[in-house]
Amino acid sequence: MVLREREPGTSAPVVVGQALPYLDAVERVTGAVPYTLNLELPGMLHVKLLRSPHPHARIRRIDPSGADRVPGVAYVLTGPRLLELGIGTHYGVVIQDKPIVAIDKVRYVGDIVAAVAAVDEDTALEALEHIAVEYEELPAVFDAEEALRPGAPLLFETLPPQRQTFADIIVHRAEGTNLCNHFKLRKGDVAQGFAEADELFEDVYSTPAAQHCPLEPHVVLAQWEPDGRLVVWSATQTPYSVRADLAELFRLPQAKVRVLTATLGGAYGAKSYIHLEPLAATLALAARRPVKLVLSRQEEFLEITKHPSRIYIRTGVKRDGTLTAREIRCYWSAGAYADISPRLIKNGGYASPGPYRIPHIKVDSYGVYTNLPPAGAFRGYGAPQAHWAGECQIDDIARALGIDPVELRLRNLLRDGDAFATSEQMHDVHFHELLREAAAKVGWGTPKPAPRPGKAIGRGVAVALKSTVTPSTSVAAVRVEADGSITVLSSTVEMGQGAKGILAQIAAEKFGVGYDRVRVVDPDTDITPYDQSTTSSRSTFSMGTAVQYAAEDACNQLRELAAGLLEAAPGDIEIAGGRVFVKGSPDQGLPIGHVLARTRRQQVLGHGTFVTEGGLDPETGQGVAAVHWHHAAGAAEVEVDLETGQVEVLRYHTEVYVGRAVNPRNARLQNEGSVILGLGQTFFEEMRYDDGQLVNGNLADYMIPSFEDLPGSLSSRFVEHPSGRGEAHGLGETAVPPVAAAIGNAIRDATGVRIRDLPLTPERVLRALEAQRAARPPAASSDHQAQGER
Amino acid sequence: MKRELTLRVNGREQRAVADTHHTLLEVLRRELRLFSVREGCGVGMCGACTVLLDGQPVSSCLLLAHEVRGRSIETVEGLAQGGTLHPIQEAFIEHTAFQCSFCTPGMILATKALLAENPDPTEEEIADYLAGNLCRCGSYLAIIEAVRAAAERWRAVGALR
Repeated sequence: MVLREREPGTSAPVVVGQALPYLDAVERVTGAVPYTLNLELPGMLHVKLLRSPHPHARIRRIDPSGADRVPGVAYVLTGPRLLELGIGTHYGVVIQDKPIVAIDKVRYVGDIVAAVAAVDEDTALEALEHIAVEYEELPAVFDAEEALRPGAPLLFETLPPQRQTFADIIVHRAEGTNLCNHFKLRKGDVAQGFAEADELFEDVYSTPAAQHCPLEPHVVLAQWEPDGRLVVWSATQTPYSVRADLAELFRLPQAKVRVLTATLGGAYGAKSYIHLEPLAATLALAARRPVKLVLSRQEEFLEITKHPSRIYIRTGVKRDGTLTAREIRCYWSAGAYADISPRLIKNGGYASPGPYRIPHIKVDSYGVYTNLPPAGAFRGYGAPQAHWAGECQIDDIARALGIDPVELRLRNLLRDGDAFATSEQMHDVHFHELLREAAAKVGWGTPKPAPRPGKAIGRGVAVALKSTVTPSTSVAAVRVEADGSITVLSSTVEMGQGAKGILAQIAAEKFGVGYDRVRVVDPDTDITPYDQSTTSSRSTFSMGTAVQYAAEDACNQLRELAAGLLEAAPGDIEIAGGRVFVKGSPDQGLPIGHVLARTRRQQVLGHGTFVTEGGLDPETGQGVAAVHWHHAAGAAEVEVDLETGQVEVLRYHTEVYVGRAVNPRNARLQNEGSVILGLGQTFFEEMRYDDGQLVNGNLADYMIPSFEDLPGSLSSRFVEHPSGRGEAHGLGETAVPPVAAAIGNAIRDATGVRIRDLPLTPERVLRALEAQRAARPPAASSDHQAQGER
Repeated sequence: MKRELTLRVNGREQRAVADTHHTLLEVLRRELRLFSVREGCGVGMCGACTVLLDGQPVSSCLLLAHEVRGRSIETVEGLAQGGTLHPIQEAFIEHTAFQCSFCTPGMILATKALLAENPDPTEEEIADYLAGNLCRCGSYLAIIEAVRAAAERWRAVGALR
């Protein structure tokens, strides 16, 4: 265990920076974590869903009467019945395009057509078989680019309403198209930039749909109180956002909707924003009973996915390696409903030029409706797709120019004071150090080990940057209890990242108490203050700062109270070690609890609000995209089997900038977890569709990384600010985006083949090797094949 | 059709009523309220529902409850004795061998079976044995460290419970 030196004048260890165990570690190893999945309400009904077998169809007729008659069925919800309930029918965090159940059309295989609430799951399942539906099939479209072409089948005949949810979101749509959002970035003049270039490189990269697979599925329970309030227990990353959307849908004041969130069994973005809460609440309303809705693993694949992407990227460069321009078109398949696509395609769009000094940039990023399951936030949030394209291409540029790929990056990487694609000035960026260290860790510049027979060894690097949602808001309250223990009220969701422990550490430090004297309350919108979301790797920074402010506020109140007791000015009073004392006399003060007792206050409530500012121009994408930038470098050494296409990762190292690590052990887990997730998406994770029908929607056919997929060596390092007082950066996603490109570049280094489509399955690698063998004699150089090749 | 059955769970005879088609997982959760046993995939691929059946790790989602009548079943709820954590549990805490922890009970039980067979497994042997237990958060390196630490205690004290 890493223990920091105690600071002078305090009697308790400094807890920020310590590798402390999770606050609820015992529950975690005894199986006692109270997940929403375990929750039961008296008299609750269980829900099962009827889903569309067609990717796009009009519902001609739906007859639930057979299901109504199944003993034990309480209520069957269909489109026509939904319209009679007198509530809002459509929801969506940005665009209200998703009906609670299908009304006139279904838009993907798996779209919810009807829902049965019954006394148990078996009964609900049986009842589904007695719902008769007549469909009229419609032409469907599954590819984002095809969906944008004139004459493509339209998912929405008229534009669904848009809401002003979050200040950073810019929406450009067009009536009569499948465009969900178009993000534009215009910096300088790309024509001029390309004219100044000595070489142009133009490539197309793609990534497939992927599934989050949190082991705990989406779970929601809903209950209407006798006084008309709605209470929802949801395994969500965004309780306040869910509350706002439910209030609007059910035409209730937000104060009369209560959302509670227990610890999640994983999320990775899948549980952000509103999902099944409206359906559960509607069933509970109509059936007049509490309901519980749990998705099966197969249904999880249909609920939310990672955006398939295709990225066209054109880069101009001078012979000395100076980048002059990048022009990028990104196509993101949003699936059938917008979810958070309007934001994600923006963030992926401005990440796509990469962390480089480029004077002329043009990005057009298109989120497009298709007849596939909806796509949304997934750990990395567009940056993995964007950097897969940009970082592979940078490598090819370096090789074509005869410049070392690390060196080419070092010449162009952003430093403090440089302008990013959005023209915002970068600050507190450390790309050069991260890249140099990562490269060194896989032996860059040193001889490679001898490959085994029939194999080739190569090394690759990649860098990445990712924004954190800006502007954003977090509010916290810190209560000092009568015995001096501390209660933190925060709506940050604990989903495995250890957020509750982090917030406890931050609060404990202010009072100088052990973090086990702190309790962090789980989100409950009746009790815990507003937080925008537990997404975007924002909690340690945003909520951490709000908790710090709230603790400082509480400390100030304690100082005021103690001033009379200690006969000193409040400004001369310190709080440390759980005691309140006059500066310089730590032994003569009072325990915090005595101050509260002697002043008869019993409790002090501190308040903290942290708001960040920023935003982009809707036409040019210029402005401030991020209050600070998450950034990382990854480096891989791989061995490729030239006969089978199998790739083994011998070494992988990730370097991540963290500013200040509140809990080094959690930081390490985030880095390693990010890399392992990235490895799955690099090598095998792909949701495969046949005419819109998912063919591998279960964990037998869709593999996620196991122990057997670990690299020969996996290491990570987080870099803190040299001052020791750096701003804490979130770490939940930062190490994800470099993984695929670092490995793709290592395969390129080993074999000379450039693969531009993920995942890098043995079949795909082998096909590329065979194409290379067929295309030219083995001795030929492979370095100038990049341009224009697909 | 509902029928009564007896299971020996964590050393105690337990009675439950279950349909003949209900899985052991469903009965352990619904009837016996053992929430450490969790469905992650329902097809025996993820290991979140692992229990020890006569000491062997099995996926309780693949077994019908009535198939295992009278057999001995162990879940993580039965590991801690009199408020003292099992050494494997202690090692998992010391190495923070979890994130969201949904997979943790299954990992711990599989580890117990592994160490009963092989008290001094190498990293490769651990990875091989635990490959059927998935951790989507990716805590694998910490889990390997925890298993190694637990194995050391095994050798130090001579036996694990």
